[in-house]
Amino acid sequence: MTGHSRTPAPRLRPLGQPRSVAVRTHEHGDPTHVRLPGKPARGVEAIRERWRIDDEWWRQPISREYWVVVLDDGRHVTLYHDLLDDLWYAQRG
Amino acid sequence: MSQPHSRSHSVPAHQGRGWAPLQESTLRAASQEWASSSGKNAGTGWASGPGAGTVFVPERTRVSAGSRRALCLWLPTFELRLELMRSPELDSTSVALLSAGEHTRRTIWQVSERAHEHGVRPGQFVSQAVSLCPSLTLLEPDPAHYDAAVDAMLEILAEISPVLEPAGRGRVFLGTDGLDRLFGSPARQARLALRALFRIFPRPLVASTRAGMAPGKFGAWVAAAAARSGEPRIISEQELPAFLGSCPVSALPVDALVVQRLERLGVRTLDGLRRFPEPSLVAQFGEDGRNALAWATGRRIDPVRPWHRPKPIRVTMDFPNPVGLLATLHSGLDRLIERALSRPSRRGRSVTSARMGAQLEGGGSWFVEAVLKDPTSQRERIASPLRMKMEIAPPPRAVETLILEFTQFGAPSTQTGLFDRKDESGRSTAGRDMQQGEVPSTLRDAIKELKLRLGHSPLYRVVEIDPWSRIPERRHALLSFDP
Repeated sequence: MTGHSRTPAPRLRPLGQPRSVAVRTHEHGDPTHVRLPGKPARGVEAIRERWRIDDEWWRQPISREYWVVVLDDGRHVTLYHDLLDDLWYAQRG
Repeated sequence: MSQPHSRSHSVPAHQGRGWAPLQESTLRAASQEWASSSGKNAGTGWASGPGAGTVFVPERTRVSAGSRRALCLWLPTFELRLELMRSPELDSTSVALLSAGEHTRRTIWQVSERAHEHGVRPGQFVSQAVSLCPSLTLLEPDPAHYDAAVDAMLEILAEISPVLEPAGRGRVFLGTDGLDRLFGSPARQARLALRALFRIFPRPLVASTRAGMAPGKFGAWVAAAAARSGEPRIISEQELPAFLGSCPVSALPVDALVVQRLERLGVRTLDGLRRFPEPSLVAQFGEDGRNALAWATGRRIDPVRPWHRPKPIRVTMDFPNPVGLLATLHSGLDRLIERALSRPSRRGRSVTSARMGAQLEGGGSWFVEAVLKDPTSQRERIASPLRMKMEIAPPPRAVETLILEFTQFGAPSTQTGLFDRKDESGRSTAGRDMQQGEVPSTLRDAIKELKLRLGHSPLYRVVEIDPWSRIPERRHALLSFDP
């Protein structure tokens, strides 16, 4: 008979989970202001990179538009716009 | 299929007290499966070879170890029936269970009656089967589900007799010596065992179970194969030779080629086999010939021996998202081996056999097993054969939970394992390069103290999950660090 461990299996905790953020956008959809959780809103100085992910359409579709932006305090932040729920998230890349 | 599936393998109604072959292919496959299982595990399978736990006992003598009188419970195509219990909507369709994927071209393992009518047979390639029956539903095997059912069955039957010996998944022998005073006549004991199965299996599955009782395992097995579903067949000592005489040679748990050659020689029944002198059978078939004659005459009585399986060490790892990359699974395997080796229940024993499995995305499971060449407690030597097996037969779908079991153990290892390090002070460890995976004793002590205070280890380590994933949160994860 198969012996089962009494201690529960340790679950892996994923790193880099996205956090919800408030973003104001330009009329073309580019972020212009970002308010990170617990921080005041900051203007976007520059957009360094931008890409899109469309994946796992066969399972639970993922459709994201990523931006790496430089805020006016010099911080580099990776943001994405979830195109399915139309919400913005910050994420450690 | 207009009939319920559970009746698909029932013996024709004309079957009386004599031998009536059920489905020749089913019986043959079951005998061969049994014969082959003995080679892998002489302790649990059919004792077919010399020194494999078989004893020759003159009639009416008692067996000191094990039970001479055996009750065999047999559920033909057990795994497929379990699948049909799980998905009753498939009961009226053509269904086939795939064999475990060790080859690039998968083959059919078990078939339903409807599929059988279309010409689908076990051992055929999937392409052949589908061309014969385009509406065929193919099912991936789910070994974890089947093993759980077997475990439940053994647990229930252990309440009737402590002498239990499984032989394959759908077949188990119960030693019934000494049970008469407890449960009454042999027929009543057999019915009791069948009734016990109702507690864990649905009625149609139990109704298809065959039960046979006779002296020795071979007699009991043949009696079960000749019995009607749900109606135990009891063969007494006196009846045994006559009963065996009418059995087909395909019931013998010997090499398939031996059976084929016997049939080509026109020997169809065990009675026909008995006419040959032993030296000529040995000259033709070697040890198999000698064994076949001993079984055919009823001289060979294999007692049911209590089955012992050491409690396995089992560790699992849940992935936050299903993983398909072999590299990630390899890394997960390494972590699991480390954790299993560090289990106190190992008590320093080395590992001789390990089983790796997975719960798959969308249901189902997958398993590979490796018997190690030498007992070891070194991670790499345990991981290497499992990795190789995984390369040959990878999980058919993405993995949600990875499972590792150490199933057989050897003598305590004299080698220094990863987690068997001698305690050293933090200072002396700090003075030299740390080996990968090594934990200084100071850190170990600190974790122990934190665990006492908080009830759990608050330390984590970062492990790679899928470092090249396009989705950042799937690249790395935290795993609790508790050396």
